[in-house]
Amino acid sequence: MTRDPDTHGMFRGALAIFTRDFRKFLSNPFVIIMTLFMPIMYLIVFGNAMGGTITGIPLGVVQEDPFVGETPFYLAGTEILSTYHQEDKPSLFQVTAFDDEGSAREALDTRRISAYVVFPSDITPNREVRLYVDSSEYMIPTLVQSGVQASLASMGSKNPLQIYNIYGTINYIQFFGVGVIVMAIFMTTMMGGGIALIRDREMGIIEGYLVTPVKRSSIILGTIGSGTVRAFLAGFIIFLTDILIAGVVMRSIWSFVLVVCVLLLICVGITSLVVALSSRFSSQQEYASSVAFLNLLLFMTSGAFYPVLGMPYWLAWLTVVNPEYYAIDALRSIILRGQGLDIIAIDIAAIGIFTVCAIILGIMTYRRTIE
Amino acid sequence: MDSRDEGPATEPGAESPLRADGNESCVPGEDSRDIIRINGITKVFGNAPPLTAVDQVSFSVRRGEIFGLLGPNGAGKSTLIRILTTLMMPTSGTACVDRFDVGRDDERVRTIIGVCPQNSTLDVELTAYENLEFYGNLLNVDRDQLPARIWELLKMVNLSDRAHMPVKTFSGGMRRKLEIVRAFLHYPLILFLDEPTIGLDPESRREVWQQVSRLNTMNTTIILTTHYMDEAEKLCHRIAFMNQGRLVALDTPANLKRIIPTGELVEIGYGNGHYDPGVIPRIQAREGVLGIEVHEQLLRISAKNGSQALPGILDDLEQFGITARSITIRAPSLEDVFIYLTGTGLAGGRTE
Repeated sequence: MTRDPDTHGMFRGALAIFTRDFRKFLSNPFVIIMTLFMPIMYLIVFGNAMGGTITGIPLGVVQEDPFVGETPFYLAGTEILSTYHQEDKPSLFQVTAFDDEGSAREALDTRRISAYVVFPSDITPNREVRLYVDSSEYMIPTLVQSGVQASLASMGSKNPLQIYNIYGTINYIQFFGVGVIVMAIFMTTMMGGGIALIRDREMGIIEGYLVTPVKRSSIILGTIGSGTVRAFLAGFIIFLTDILIAGVVMRSIWSFVLVVCVLLLICVGITSLVVALSSRFSSQQEYASSVAFLNLLLFMTSGAFYPVLGMPYWLAWLTVVNPEYYAIDALRSIILRGQGLDIIAIDIAAIGIFTVCAIILGIMTYRRTIE
Repeated sequence: MDSRDEGPATEPGAESPLRADGNESCVPGEDSRDIIRINGITKVFGNAPPLTAVDQVSFSVRRGEIFGLLGPNGAGKSTLIRILTTLMMPTSGTACVDRFDVGRDDERVRTIIGVCPQNSTLDVELTAYENLEFYGNLLNVDRDQLPARIWELLKMVNLSDRAHMPVKTFSGGMRRKLEIVRAFLHYPLILFLDEPTIGLDPESRREVWQQVSRLNTMNTTIILTTHYMDEAEKLCHRIAFMNQGRLVALDTPANLKRIIPTGELVEIGYGNGHYDPGVIPRIQAREGVLGIEVHEQLLRISAKNGSQALPGILDDLEQFGITARSITIRAPSLEDVFIYLTGTGLAGGRTE
């Protein structure tokens, strides 16, 4: 058999390149693990975050004012709502009884409950049952409405159900649009501040300025500063897009200012976190796979796509320590619900603590030597 | 001058008069002509297996001199520079840069040094001017004087007309020159140049040398590493030889050459012509001749004074019917000294 020298040469070259690439792949266990780990995490996190069943929606029940005594209708309604469930799933509602409509409304405004049912004090069938729903959440309003309707029907009630969407009708694009603002900030930050530091390290630029008297804190603050501005611009552009295209309505100038302030705070926080992380990495590849993983975890559990209520317990727990959750919650409160500083104070405090910790972490972990 | 007073590396555990008490170790005593004092610096990398890059090195650099660190690749020169410029912590040992203790007073060390590292650290996406401006701000150069200073430096290296072009469009030589002036932006007391001419063409090398000499006339102490012998010989007042992390010798170029006991080398080529081994004992018997080696078509004779011995040697050759086709007399080069001291050559080194 004769071998064509050209073909032989081609295979040899291809094999050489294959071997080199594969050897490099094997020599970097961190990237291998991340490469395999990512799809698995996608499956677990994404699958659970998006596909979960929503149960235990906090629902208030109250009897119409003036309250004289509990009617059998109210008692029966409360009972049936508490036990209502779909097929073999846990109860759909977690029912709380209120003494008067005022306190129920306050609970709804402060988002302790997602909806409340007002039973008429009179049992006559023509008296309407009122349902007030927090319409700023995705899926939950529909579930509440159908659950309440089914419960009333199973009691054989002929009373009409009057539904009040307290924040008007909100489309999914508006709900999701607010989440995308935060996503834009995170994406820009990943590729912005963090990668800039690593590029400096990888290209050796850092060796040049580490021998100047510039302080470690100056390097960190400068990097966070530039990253923040970029992230803010990205977030702000998405915010404008939400207004112009998704039809998000700004209720007042004050709301607008509040959104800008929250955006800035989130930008500083997320940029600081990314900068703190990046100062520990020396290769762009390792950094990118780690941050992509972090991004997945934080974004999926932020409630941007899907209500946190629908997540399994172990995943929902992550939202408590997830700065993006607070960021999205604060932005939704202002943008979709028209709420003010009083409601988002907790969110702001959480983001503030996170930001300060991230900056301190950034300065502390930053290496002033090149080893 | 005693040529060996600061000679080979101090033995491990050697006492230093400068470390009498912790914090004040770097305050200059009567010996303030030394601007850098290194005492038993060791740097070990990794642990399985550990690599000792710098091994118990001690020496001093005098104020205002051009000091050369010479050695093959991997001798530990750059590591030593990185320790002195606060980029790395030594595993053990101490070093003083002027009045400041490396590792303890790093921030103040950084204010008095200028560094041109071995690998380019220019931001190639910025222009030449922007690169200098960036460092001017990092180095706290007076805001009002910075633009003038930048133009002065750009002019010094003939880059004024390319000031506003991105560095990525520059040739290797232009980048190197820009990087060297950048290190000098803030009039540092000490300038570290790590392989300043590596990869440059002869023309650019000469320009860099001129620049280094010019900077030195402005009272700047310059420490440069190189593995080019000619460069060290041309520029440096004193040279330290490093090999495998150790300091092998330290002296002026002239004194270093006297270390070799072989004196001068007389090389006589006889081409394809007649050769008679009988001539060897005859030459060897001559006064001043220290040794003789026979190579292919070449006799290499070491003599105390080559030119004095030469006529007699030529007489001997004539008697044995050997015709000298070429004759060279040369003093040992720094490379010969290095080989003599270490038994190895300087990889990639050149001699003129």
